[in-house]
Amino acid sequence: MPQDMPPAGGYEPVQYKRNLPVRGFRPGWYVVGVAGIMTYGFYWYAKGIREQHEIAREKVWSRIYIMPLLQAEEDRDQVRRYLADRAREKELLGKETSPYNSDRFVRPWFAATPKDHTK
Amino acid sequence: MTARQPRFNQEVLIDTTPLPDDIPKVKEVGASSAPLMSASFFIGARCKSYNDDYMMCKHEANGRGELDCMREGRKVTRCAASVLEDINKHCIEQFRGHWKCLERNNQQMWNCRGPEIQLNKCVFDNIGLEKVIPGTPKDTIPIHLRDKQVFANPWRAYPVKRGQMPTLEEARTRAQEQAQPQQS
Repeated sequence: MPQDMPPAGGYEPVQYKRNLPVRGFRPGWYVVGVAGIMTYGFYWYAKGIREQHEIAREKVWSRIYIMPLLQAEEDRDQVRRYLADRAREKELLGKETSPYNSDRFVRPWFAATPKDHTK
Repeated sequence: MTARQPRFNQEVLIDTTPLPDDIPKVKEVGASSAPLMSASFFIGARCKSYNDDYMMCKHEANGRGELDCMREGRKVTRCAASVLEDINKHCIEQFRGHWKCLERNNQQMWNCRGPEIQLNKCVFDNIGLEKVIPGTPKDTIPIHLRDKQVFANPWRAYPVKRGQMPTLEEARTRAQEQAQPQQS
């Protein structure tokens, strides 16, 4: 009985490699491209941060320059109310008393209101 | 009575008693936030010594600043009022343009560079006050003199032509001049 032998000249080589076409650029170029995009983005990011610092500086100094003005107005108003309170107290009680054991200015916590405004 | 006015369901109760007569009267400034912000650097330029004096007085008054520093406070208010008066006299249109722009743009100065340039120029020419931002790094152009910015909307922030902006050299020399006094 004849044996099942390889064909004459041997088998053809087995195709185990896929023969797909390579798409796109070489991989290194993608790394370079991403790095470029990132660099561009970070450039503007850093520029924006520095600009924001300057914007914040401008805003803060514009506030600092008018703060004494606002504070002076508020303090004058507080002193006006304080002196009016003292005068009223003197008129009603006949003497001036202070609940505080110091001569500092204390913003009043409670407002004396007329008796029959709210019902 | 802390920072809030006492408020009841029927009316706002405000003590209207004026200050005693032995304390000199001063008219309050009465400007709202946007005009004050617009004029703030000019107020700072003219009134810095008064402002510092007042804050120093309050700092050293040991808690009695409200009562003891009223004299300095009046000077502060009068000085700021004089600046606003001068601006109103000489640069009313530019001033109005700038603070209305601030009102429209969330009071962000970087969105109002165009009107601000015109206001700064007018104030510098007529009153002689210049906007200086202390602490700006020496090697950079101050933010209000840059002709290009990352954040500002170019159509809204720069309605003026580019030619009206200071050139780069002008801005640089001005920045260097601004940086000089801070070193000393």
